[in-house]
Amino acid sequence: MARIRFDQVTKRYGPVIAVDQLDLEIRDQEFVVLLGPSGCGKTTTLNIVAGLEELSDGDLYFDDTIVNFMPPHRRDVAMVFQSYALYPHKTVYDNIAFGLRMRGGHSREEIDRRVRDAALRLHIGHLLERKPQQLSGGQRQRVALGRAMVRQPAVFLMDEPLSNLDATLRISMRAEIKQLHQAMQTTFVYVTHDQAEALTLADRIVVMRDGLIQQVGGPSDIYEQPRNTFVASFLGSPPINYLEGTLSEDAGRLVFRRGDFSVELPSEVAPAAPVDGGREVILGIRPEDVVERPAIEPASIRGRINSVLPIGSDEYLGVEIEGVGCFFRVGKEVQHGTGEPVALDVHARRVHLFDPRTGEALLRRPGAGLAS
Amino acid sequence: MAAPAISSQAVSQRYRTRSRAVGLGRALVLTIGCVLLLAYLLGPIVWLVSSSVQTEAEIVSVPPHWIPDDPTLQNFDAIFFAGDKAITYDTRAQADPLSGGYIPSTAANLLPGLRNSFVVALTVVVLNLLVGVPAAYALAKIRFRGRQASIYAILTTRVIPDIALVVPLFLVIRNLGLLDDVRSLIITYLAITVPFTVFILVSYFESLPDDLDKAARVDGCSRLQALLRVFLPLSLPSLVAVVLFSFLTSWNEFLLALMFTQTPKAQTLPIVVASFTSDFTISFSFINAAGVVAIIPPVILAVLFQRYLVSGLTAGAVKG
Repeated sequence: MARIRFDQVTKRYGPVIAVDQLDLEIRDQEFVVLLGPSGCGKTTTLNIVAGLEELSDGDLYFDDTIVNFMPPHRRDVAMVFQSYALYPHKTVYDNIAFGLRMRGGHSREEIDRRVRDAALRLHIGHLLERKPQQLSGGQRQRVALGRAMVRQPAVFLMDEPLSNLDATLRISMRAEIKQLHQAMQTTFVYVTHDQAEALTLADRIVVMRDGLIQQVGGPSDIYEQPRNTFVASFLGSPPINYLEGTLSEDAGRLVFRRGDFSVELPSEVAPAAPVDGGREVILGIRPEDVVERPAIEPASIRGRINSVLPIGSDEYLGVEIEGVGCFFRVGKEVQHGTGEPVALDVHARRVHLFDPRTGEALLRRPGAGLAS
Repeated sequence: MAAPAISSQAVSQRYRTRSRAVGLGRALVLTIGCVLLLAYLLGPIVWLVSSSVQTEAEIVSVPPHWIPDDPTLQNFDAIFFAGDKAITYDTRAQADPLSGGYIPSTAANLLPGLRNSFVVALTVVVLNLLVGVPAAYALAKIRFRGRQASIYAILTTRVIPDIALVVPLFLVIRNLGLLDDVRSLIITYLAITVPFTVFILVSYFESLPDDLDKAARVDGCSRLQALLRVFLPLSLPSLVAVVLFSFLTSWNEFLLALMFTQTPKAQTLPIVVASFTSDFTISFSFINAAGVVAIIPPVILAVLFQRYLVSGLTAGAVKG
């Protein structure tokens, strides 16, 4: 059980700043996901927590103790690696028991009991005598989990543990990891670049880019109220559609316009900056934030279908709006074909507005946790 | 329709016969090539072993006897019990040069030489591992300023031929007061072998994933424990290559041993064997018997480790 606090933590590799003045508090027993593209500093941050990288500046606290220079074997952490990093010369049993043996303080019977418990829970009880190279990817992944959980650490670190698994296995392992967190009641820090994984697992998501935190919040906060264009486009698949245009006030109503396309914004979400008769903005519409209309009714988007991408449960339509290619999700009740006209209405309450210069979000929403 | 079918059958038959002939020819050429190569490689060793159990007279007989007519162990007897006999010019003169039976005046140095060779080679092997393994681990797995430069600096020392270093090394050894002392050989052989050891092990350790090192440390290992518990068991092939290389280099080295040692107190086997040719009459059968004794330890070592040998010598040669 541990609280982790980053206080202005910076990590430099020569001139390159991997993590830049990171301030973050991870609560006890929380499941925090560090999310970002490769090179954003998330794995470095995880390694700093593990003690595998020394920080260049700032302080790292476990509860109230500064652990900046505490070597990994003195920290009560366990880690699961993307490559699993199982010891190839040891059996599954010895792989799992190794951490307990190295840290000492456990009798042989205790170690045996814990290893077998963990193996049973992860359904690898029958593999204990095998060597890692005799296991499938999913089995290796379970051994790596077992090796970490058997120690009952205060902090459980995971570095993209599912990225080497096939898609089906990945989804079932997600559920198991979530159960593991509930059962172990310990702090989890999980690194991934897969937004779906982050949204499924996290209590809170930390979105990072170029060593800087972009936004911290619960999965729905991050998805519904992205703080800037980077966060908005990093979460969601296919990504959010962006349209550049002008926002103006028209008889007390806020209207976004791009050519013939316009959306009227509801009054309760006034932008943070004054509009003054028209300012450049970026409008963000998530693919799912539209409703299909019968062709005869008025609709904000009218166009021809460029492409139809069925995904089983729904369909994504490629539609061009004033020269910009967009994707929208529609139900599959209506048959769509390439080249056919389509009419879509935008959920005006759910659109996003960003400053084209800074990329920052402009709309204020009640209860929006824009800051960390 | 029938005629082309027959002709195509004939064509395939001809191809079948021809491919069989080509296959046979290839096998024949390969076999002959292998036999020739084996004869070239093993010939000297077979002759060494065979002539070591022949008398002097039989050795010089024409044509040579690859299989001795009258095998004798007198040379080995002389090697292991020469110390009991006083060898003077008179005793040598009395011996019959044709039937052999005489032994070199320095024959009694052989066993001390063997012992010195063992002491030097084993010490060099152990020190190589003690110095080379931690050095290679640090160079391969710890990022520090000047890491790459250190690897190159260590490697560069190996491009200088030993003979260029003989005089400076001699002066250093003399100033240390270590002339005619096995320690002089241990020190200089380490200078020759450690860079190579570090080079082999660095490339091998680098080929082992960093995540293994990290996993071991998170699992509770200090750096040293990670090295001993995880890296060393995985590095057996390259360790074997290092052991063999440093042992053989020390066991076979001649030039430096010749310069730094003068008496049986410190002389190693190559020097002692070479000294057998300095008498008026040379006993080739005895020299060959000494040669057999000299190659036994490396052969035993190679047989013990041959399982790891090939993978060890190519270890780290190719990354990935």
